[in-house]
Amino acid sequence: MLVGVLRWLLARIGSALLVAWVVATVVFFALRAAGGDPTEAILGGPGSQAGPEAVAAARAEYGLDRPLVVQYLNQLWRVLTFDLGDSYARRMPVAELLREQLPGTFLLAVVALAFAWVLALGIATATSSARPWVGGLLRGVEVVAAVVPHFWLGAVLILLFSTTLGWFPATSAGSDPAGLVLPTVTLAVPVAGFLGQLIHDSVAEAEAAPFAVSARARGGSAIGVLWRHSLRHGVLPAVSLSGWAFGSLLSGAVVVETLFGRPGLGRLLLDATLSRDVPVVIGAVLVVALAYVVVMAIVDLIERALDPRGSTPTAVVL
Amino acid sequence: MARQSLVALALAPVLLVAACSGGSTDSASPQDGGTLTYATGDAEPTCLDPHVGGNYPQALISTQYLEPLVGRAADGTILPWLARDWQVSDDGLTWDFTLADGVTFTDGTPFDADAVRVNIEHLQDPDTGSSTGYLAVQKVASVEAVDATHARFHLTEPDSALLESLSQQWTAIESPTGIERGTDANCAAPVGTGPFVVESWTPQQQVELVRNDDYAGLDPEADHDGAAYLDRIVWRFIPDAATRYAALRSGEVQMIDNPQPDAVKAAGQGGDITLIDAPRPGASNRIELNAAQAPFDDIRVREAFVRAADVDAGIETLFAGTVQRSSSALSSVEPDVYSDPDLFTADLDRANDLLDQAGWTERDADGYRTKDGARLTVRFPVSTNQSVAAEQSLFEQIQAGAKQAGFDVVLTPLDLSGWYAALGAHEYEAVSAPYTKVGPDVLRILYHSDGTVPAPSGYFANHAQLKDPALDDLLDRAVATADPDERADLYQQAQTIILDSYTVLPLYDQLNRFLVRDAEGVRTLNTVSTPTFLDARVLS
Repeated sequence: MLVGVLRWLLARIGSALLVAWVVATVVFFALRAAGGDPTEAILGGPGSQAGPEAVAAARAEYGLDRPLVVQYLNQLWRVLTFDLGDSYARRMPVAELLREQLPGTFLLAVVALAFAWVLALGIATATSSARPWVGGLLRGVEVVAAVVPHFWLGAVLILLFSTTLGWFPATSAGSDPAGLVLPTVTLAVPVAGFLGQLIHDSVAEAEAAPFAVSARARGGSAIGVLWRHSLRHGVLPAVSLSGWAFGSLLSGAVVVETLFGRPGLGRLLLDATLSRDVPVVIGAVLVVALAYVVVMAIVDLIERALDPRGSTPTAVVL
Repeated sequence: MARQSLVALALAPVLLVAACSGGSTDSASPQDGGTLTYATGDAEPTCLDPHVGGNYPQALISTQYLEPLVGRAADGTILPWLARDWQVSDDGLTWDFTLADGVTFTDGTPFDADAVRVNIEHLQDPDTGSSTGYLAVQKVASVEAVDATHARFHLTEPDSALLESLSQQWTAIESPTGIERGTDANCAAPVGTGPFVVESWTPQQQVELVRNDDYAGLDPEADHDGAAYLDRIVWRFIPDAATRYAALRSGEVQMIDNPQPDAVKAAGQGGDITLIDAPRPGASNRIELNAAQAPFDDIRVREAFVRAADVDAGIETLFAGTVQRSSSALSSVEPDVYSDPDLFTADLDRANDLLDQAGWTERDADGYRTKDGARLTVRFPVSTNQSVAAEQSLFEQIQAGAKQAGFDVVLTPLDLSGWYAALGAHEYEAVSAPYTKVGPDVLRILYHSDGTVPAPSGYFANHAQLKDPALDDLLDRAVATADPDERADLYQQAQTIILDSYTVLPLYDQLNRFLVRDAEGVRTLNTVSTPTFLDARVLS
């Protein structure tokens, strides 16, 4: 039992290390390939006309005068030793920048994921107990919701609920609940559409299974059977994909934070990429990637709890 | 400290009553005090000190807390500001500035000649990493503090653009005590003599500015004496243009910059939103054709491109009639601007004739002209940071127009770093690169052959790759002369050469527009066209 847990933990840590290495490497070389000189981030941004002494001083201070391989190895070493270095543009530790922006983005992603689940489960329940044509309509809504782009949905929501109705502010900062509404909905709707479709298909499968048929034969109501039996099977694929969904929420944050003028990791990443602020980009992507690893681990635990067939004995049975 | 808070406590009821009575009068009357929220779409500065680097977003915000040595009137006349008077020696190498007396920075440090010296040295110190301000004071060898109110500038060569350079926000004067704190602290909250003081900066969200109660009132165009009316300014960063406009309409903010053409048009049609249109000085927005390499090393091919591109129709539709076509290399706010519309009228027949003459006579299967098997290709990297959506659409219309004459225009959208990299590698035949500077000396930066030599970062400003000794001579003489009439005449001649070379296709002034709602008294400086809130009041 303990061996099982240890092996599980080691596998997770191993994958985290692998992810860290891949992120640092890909980001480092991708930013180089995108053109532009990171030195300019230090000297006021792209197109800097700073003098030769200033350029030389900046390169020396940040080690940008060393061969590319040396810079890469330095960067790797720093990542391994949990030192994210200093931002070129902001001249402060990357860790501090991330600490500033992380909470806002995580709050947004977690609230959006929760809201997406509420939406998806609500629609699934409504569909299975509604008339066929309503169910068909709701399925159509799910399909559209799953593919709607964030920037479009966000713009429409602002126009409707901020400009026209004046219910919610167009911009938001921090954890102000009113300001959190529109960004949350914008992020949650596509994920809800996706999760809803998944729940749908597997619930339909479960509803047709002998255990559901017999539960109904025993006199269980349609909704009761759905919630007590079918959904438990039906949500499994959606739970597995929630890890992926969380990752997509973090990447969606780049668009949503920019759109709603909301501070966060996504905007930090965008600005840093545009100015070729290599340490910040690596730091931000690393945090997102590691968050993804952690969420996948949590999802793994939940899956084992919902479906005891493949579980280790440590799992809690719901 | 303790006494101050007691006073504040004692005053609190009075202030409350004042606030209430202010609110009970006319529904939209200007009131003293209050907060104005400004939302900017420009990139958030990485440093609030415009000496470091030196871009437009820094100029915008620093106008609220830093002041320059001199100002500028709408007609280009230089006005006294922190410097009250100045005199230049006959050889143009020594400038004597008489400074305002009794002015203190908001940290209590006195403003004096030594402060001016420290600021120029700060700009020239490589560790500061200055780009724009460093260029502006490049000809200053040293500053000598003669006495407290007299600063003497020693120049390496005459510079008729010195006052214009010193009027820019990038060379504004900061507290020496503030500078001494080091770059990190000074970037977070630079200390100046302006009407407001930086209180706090929440990255990606906002900068909070509070009124400087002891403001000396030196702004030459202020409409009242003493401190600003507003208690504070909240300076928010909202990158998306539609969101900014929505925030303005819902009352979350009172002023926005970089509005979209439809919002500008709506403001022009009445309603409670007013438009401030303040074109930036320096160069116009224009497309430059790279004369250093084929096919634009042939002036006939350059003129053919200019004639084939039907710019007027595109501007009219894409900017909803809110933008004026330019036919100048300089901004229309420059007193020395020279225009020649005839050079830029669309004429497809003439374009075709010129290309035939230049030997681009064959057409390939796609309808593009060829010569010796090579296609008539124009690589056009587009900066998605600098070109607004309407401008990018305009480039697509130009692409379509040029295709009719047989040009294959390849538009490549790039982020700012990638775009500068493409220019630095000469991977362009056409490009639109804005350049803001006070005064016609911008022509020397953009079109003097010196501008083809890259800076250490690889950047060069002369994208047209003009290397004309006659033009160089005019620009050199213009910057050296002390005679304003001669200077104006030399810049006229220079502009004639530039426009006649067909390396420049002017579009319009650099757009710099603001929308205001529920506030009045906002005006823009005639230097780099940044708004000041000294006279601003919010309407209750």
